[in-house]
Amino acid sequence: MSSADVQKPFLALAIRGITAGYGGPPIVTNLDMDVAKGKVVAVVGPNGAGKSTLLKAILGIARVESGRVELNGTDVTGLPLEKLARLGIGYVPQVDDVFDGLRVRENLDMGGYLFNKHQRAERMERALTVFPQLRPRLNRYVETLSGGERKMTAIARVLMLDPSVLVLDEPTAGLSPELSKAVLETQVRALGDLGKAVLLVEQKAVAALGISDWAYMLVRGEVVMSADAKEVLAKPDMREIFLGATAPNEVTADRAP
Amino acid sequence: MQLIIEAIGFGIATGAVIALGAVGFSVQFGISNILNITYGALMTLSAYIGLVLINHGINAWAALAISAVAVGAVSVIYHRILLAPLVRRGTRAIAMIIVTVSAGTILQYVIVAIAGPSSQSYGEQSGQTFHFLDLTLSFGQVTIIVLTAILMLALHLLLTRTTLGKAMRATSSNRTLARSCGIATSRISDIAWFISGCLCGAAGVALAITTVSFDFSLGALFLIPMIAAAVLGGIGQPYGAMLGGMIIGISSEVAAAVSNPNYKDVVAFVILIIVLLVRPRGLFGAAWSSRRLMEG
Repeated sequence: MSSADVQKPFLALAIRGITAGYGGPPIVTNLDMDVAKGKVVAVVGPNGAGKSTLLKAILGIARVESGRVELNGTDVTGLPLEKLARLGIGYVPQVDDVFDGLRVRENLDMGGYLFNKHQRAERMERALTVFPQLRPRLNRYVETLSGGERKMTAIARVLMLDPSVLVLDEPTAGLSPELSKAVLETQVRALGDLGKAVLLVEQKAVAALGISDWAYMLVRGEVVMSADAKEVLAKPDMREIFLGATAPNEVTADRAP
Repeated sequence: MQLIIEAIGFGIATGAVIALGAVGFSVQFGISNILNITYGALMTLSAYIGLVLINHGINAWAALAISAVAVGAVSVIYHRILLAPLVRRGTRAIAMIIVTVSAGTILQYVIVAIAGPSSQSYGEQSGQTFHFLDLTLSFGQVTIIVLTAILMLALHLLLTRTTLGKAMRATSSNRTLARSCGIATSRISDIAWFISGCLCGAAGVALAITTVSFDFSLGALFLIPMIAAAVLGGIGQPYGAMLGGMIIGISSEVAAAVSNPNYKDVVAFVILIIVLLVRPRGLFGAAWSSRRLMEG
């Protein structure tokens, strides 16, 4: 069974033969990926595999040399980030994922920038239902929050946009193991269950696969495996491949600008 | 004692002008990460636009408003045509400073070429003076203090109460993230450069009103205490620049009164260095810090 068979009817984000980089030799080559509505799709792989570059190519930040990015059937390749936001792609970066110097409430307001005051208030209520812990902290500046609270603010902010596709770059980076588990199991999984198409890039492969529907394994800029996440986890030899592949001695081409 | 109180009064007036300029300078830096040294020459340009208007019989305060808007527009064009394209091409911060120094010098000499090198004056504004406690201030000084207070309050309300102002802060804090929220950051930049350019223009005319006479070096000389105020407050921090302006203004006037007027700037810089030793990011530096990604 292929990814397309599983996901086709409600395909939200389709990546077709993407080759992308930063002007030099391409960092990712000829990638194909599908993310359907309501599904969490994990992209795992070692450092330097091109995971971040893939996300930047989708988001119009890295240069797409060939291939297409389709959002709900429309070609959106290379569109600037602010246009993609209007079309319904939400993005949570790995670092700098909140607006320092702004209060939690203002961060959420900015998430709902494209909507009027009334819609923003409505969406804020909805986001606070998902993250009730933020309600007593609405007037706090985000730099006074804990790592977990900042991540909640970042995800709540992206929910304000009510995007159809969510792109999450290592949402557990810098969080403790317990907090990572909580973020993935309760928050990221919940986004899929809300009906969003979630593209999740994660270094913590096993944890990410545990909450994902489908998995792509990226090594040196190419997809080396595309499989049902649960199946990957169930097979001991596959887990071996994943854990083996996350060895730290891999190239780190992903550090390019 | 009387001398010090009078100096404080003068310091508040000087501080108000410094704050006007420093806040605009800080807003520009906050939004674009560019240390725009041309700012000084643009203040001079504003003072000369004001001079032309006043010589045509326009009231000094109306001239201030018109010059402010004109310099606001010039700032937007300057940023769009020269600075933003250079940033997009990946020009380094230090090279950007050199570009703004060069552009400022060119502008300054264009002003000399047109207006000549001699000293100019707006003439006597109003002989009226105000007495408050033991302070004696001229009508011009009081008006500038009040005007600065109103503009700072307006800026505060804009930044904290309006979606536009929050979007300006968001763009300043994290441009990529702002774009991912659908904020058209280049439009926000234009607005920020217009507002800060208006403050620059207002400061230029205000400075000319409060000084007896001025020439083409008006803005260049004023740039140093203004940058000191902006850095003292934490560069990129509008509130820091307001406070920094007042501290620099009052301390330099008091220092001039109790010692030699030549030490005026020295005292301001000693305070600046001490503050930076204690708080390297300036008084308000911690609150608005963020790694800024410059992707246009």
